[in-house]
Amino acid sequence: MYKYIRLRGDIIKNFSTMIGGGIAGIFVMSVWGEFADSYGIAGGWFAAMIIIGTMWFLNHYVGIIHNSDYEAWVDMGLAIGVCGISRDLFLSKSFYPLLQSSPTIIVVVLGGIAGGIAATAVQKTLHNKSKNATQGLK
Amino acid sequence: MTIQLAVSTFFGAFIFPFLIIICWDEMVKAFGAVGGWMAAGLIVGTTWTLNHGVGMIYQSGGAWVDMALAAGVGLLASSIYKGHSFKKAIPTILSSIIGGIGGGFIIAAFI
Repeated sequence: MYKYIRLRGDIIKNFSTMIGGGIAGIFVMSVWGEFADSYGIAGGWFAAMIIIGTMWFLNHYVGIIHNSDYEAWVDMGLAIGVCGISRDLFLSKSFYPLLQSSPTIIVVVLGGIAGGIAATAVQKTLHNKSKNATQGLK
Repeated sequence: MTIQLAVSTFFGAFIFPFLIIICWDEMVKAFGAVGGWMAAGLIVGTTWTLNHGVGMIYQSGGAWVDMALAAGVGLLASSIYKGHSFKKAIPTILSSIIGGIGGGFIIAAFI
């Protein structure tokens, strides 16, 4: 019985992650481009605020995408990035665009990993600094 | 893709997760949920202008590579670097990828 409840919880948890990621991807990869085409840079900036703001509230503030303290953080950005690539594969009905875009994908992934690790390293020193400042040890 | 374009793409992808990790939580701490909306405009909107508005991330082919991919991978890497378990996050990662592919399929059905 306990096992069943746990399994059911796991299924719902992963299902809600799929729905949250899918909705975020759909909004970003269809609405954003229209805003940018209609109003240029201002449209794209505004789209970021209404789409990412609302989707962040749904996925991470309310928490439709499952994340817990001891698990590695899965951001909705992952789902949105995958959605952008898969949209063009479904539209062209072939894997050729993936092959063409693979240099960009590799460089973007490497840049993202470098940025994430660099930011965490910087953040650690910032926290140490503020701790030292409050304790009066400079 | 030339070396110059690879460098600009790399640093475009570097900047986005960097800003999110350093600033987003602090903004939410300072302003609550409204801080998240502010961060969406000020961090994502402004970085979008850089990466896609003026084109710092070069698109080498037909499949759109969004800066969101950099954020997703970067935040995951940052979390692993902090010592959180990658293995336990695998179901969520797979679900996110399936959700993203499903979203792509649905968009291709109406666009």
